[in-house]
Amino acid sequence: MSTEAAQTTAPSKDHVVCLVGMPNSGKTTLMNALTGGNFKTANYAGVTVSLLRGRSKPEYGTPRNIVDLPGVHSSVAPSPEEELAVEVIEGRHSKVKPDAFILVVDATQLERHLKFGGLVGRQGKPTVVALTMVDLLDRTGQSVNALKLSNALGIPVVPVDPRTGRGVKELFAALDGLGGMVWMGNSLSEISSEPIVAFKQVQELLRRSGSVTRTAQPDSLTSRIDRFVLHRYFGFPVFFLVLISLFAAIFWLAQPFMDLIEGAFSFAASTLTSIAPDSVLMRFLGDGVLAGVGAVAVFFPQIMILFFLMTLLEDSGYLARGATLVDRPLSYLGLHGRSFVPMLSGFACAIPAVFAARAIPARRERLLTIWILPLMSCSARLPVYALLLAALLSGAAWQAGIALAAIYVSSLLIGSLVAGLTARIFIKHRQPSLLAMELPAYRVPRWWPILRMTWARGSAYLKRAGVPIMIVSAVLWVISNFGYVPGAPIASTPMERSFASELGQKIEPVLRPMGADWRVGVGLISAFAAREVFVSSMAIVFHVDSADEQTQQEGLLDQMRTATFADTGQKIFTPASIVGLIVFFFFSLQCFSTVAVVRKEMDSWKLAGLQLLFYTGLGYSLAVITVQTLRAFGVA
Amino acid sequence: MKVENDSRFHLQLMDPVARPLTAVALNKSVRIERLDGPRQDCARLLDLGFTPGEEISVTQWAPLGDPLVVRVRGALLALRKREAAWILVE
Repeated sequence: MSTEAAQTTAPSKDHVVCLVGMPNSGKTTLMNALTGGNFKTANYAGVTVSLLRGRSKPEYGTPRNIVDLPGVHSSVAPSPEEELAVEVIEGRHSKVKPDAFILVVDATQLERHLKFGGLVGRQGKPTVVALTMVDLLDRTGQSVNALKLSNALGIPVVPVDPRTGRGVKELFAALDGLGGMVWMGNSLSEISSEPIVAFKQVQELLRRSGSVTRTAQPDSLTSRIDRFVLHRYFGFPVFFLVLISLFAAIFWLAQPFMDLIEGAFSFAASTLTSIAPDSVLMRFLGDGVLAGVGAVAVFFPQIMILFFLMTLLEDSGYLARGATLVDRPLSYLGLHGRSFVPMLSGFACAIPAVFAARAIPARRERLLTIWILPLMSCSARLPVYALLLAALLSGAAWQAGIALAAIYVSSLLIGSLVAGLTARIFIKHRQPSLLAMELPAYRVPRWWPILRMTWARGSAYLKRAGVPIMIVSAVLWVISNFGYVPGAPIASTPMERSFASELGQKIEPVLRPMGADWRVGVGLISAFAAREVFVSSMAIVFHVDSADEQTQQEGLLDQMRTATFADTGQKIFTPASIVGLIVFFFFSLQCFSTVAVVRKEMDSWKLAGLQLLFYTGLGYSLAVITVQTLRAFGVA
Repeated sequence: MKVENDSRFHLQLMDPVARPLTAVALNKSVRIERLDGPRQDCARLLDLGFTPGEEISVTQWAPLGDPLVVRVRGALLALRKREAAWILVE
């Protein structure tokens, strides 16, 4: 871009355009359209996480920085998310200073959205209105004239369809047309901050402009669907059916992909080691890194399908209905209808779930939601349960399926129990906060954005989990294959004399009560990097030979079935000890990322530390109790 | 209409038909008279669009009989029973 253009109309490099609007106005979809979806979402280190930043695509003129702010329902008694957005809008945020605003307005709800626009208008920054949901106007029986609206507001109004990208060019042209200036006397800036007056002003403005014409009766499709999904008798069956299909699909749809990945990794590992069977480097790469990564990569399809279906549910508008359905039981437990979305996300990963909890307005309810999130059975536990269940139930796949479903359901029930008990014991003042939750209009899912969002979430997950898995695998292979040997300081040794063994023997007394030996202990400790690392650690400490013709998981299962305690010669993986391990993983907070995120989010080491100690302690004690009880009743 | 006790009688004369939103039939369009509840919560309800004089209707009751869905200014909002009871309609 020439400097000339920069002086006249186009923005400078660090010009920041903020997307603002109420929730469900289509901001994030517009963000996707503007930036081509390449914004940073995976950065969960700071509070900036819910400010999506990106640069606009070059085809829309000079690339500029776009920041997508969380939606704001109301600046009165705001949730932390809303508070953050209001802070940025009012220029009080320390890092993000907006130079211009794109006010995203839902054409079907002009009154409420323009009333919010008053807050933006009062900032005196260049502003354009992006009119979304224009395609829904038919359904609500209205038509909106953008030109008349623009004349009445004194601000450019551009109808956009973020799903197709239509109108986006015009939107930027309008922004450039302002030339960094504020149109004086625009009506948006005159809207009062007092709601009763403000709504009157907006109504008057819309009436005077003649921009809205009512053509028919309001949206009947959404009401018709709601009559069914919120029905007195059908409501809950539909709700459970949706959740069951969600989890069933994860297992059935993923199977062919899992077989494919499994085959590819076994092939790669055996090819690598067959090149030079005696080379330490090749064995390191094949049996260490590849075997470790492969053991976990197998579960990637399941995780992608989970993310896909979650995004699909979010996009269709059903999640808000689900939250409405369970508000009554959740508020009884001291939670909030809005806790439903974080809890459901918790089944994918606790980290995005902790962030999703920001939509809960009251700190007390948010705290309680975050407190029980580690109990939700996250996708990182999936590989662990899959392996342990395969070892426990060598029979048909449906048995494992049912057992897994039982684990998921219990995680929800026990989470509720812990929430209810915590609320009753520790929270004295139990006045519930306001629900007042918007139910968006149902929309036909948009496949392309959903796939893109799935990919963004999935690859963020891969990056987050992949690196620790690779590092831990490599380190584990080295310490379990090398040790002190008299004469030579460090040399390749058999497993029993390796560093890992030496370390492991020290913690074995703690592990014995739960029926585990030092090798399982090494797995459990390495799982604090990420729970799924347990599987790859097991593959390494139990020496699964990649040169075998069998697939890796079968190889690992064979090793586990024959593994014995070094001193007594008894089998390690008995039904009792496997159930004990499942119980341990069920409760224990083996995820340092979650601890770090909770600390940051609640700004409290105390809460994060307490959570870590409480759940891990609970997991260990219950595992010991389970194993000892089972043994007392004659289960080996 | 319920029988009110004496102390409320005077109030009743002033707004003869005010009743909480929870007492309104499904899909019946009613006009908001005033809000009467905790200050902060009512301020947020006002800000969300529940202003006196505005026409709203209850479109749905959730299965457990608690949150109800209210149409206000083209939006659907789920309100708890105790919140809806703060909204007095004509």
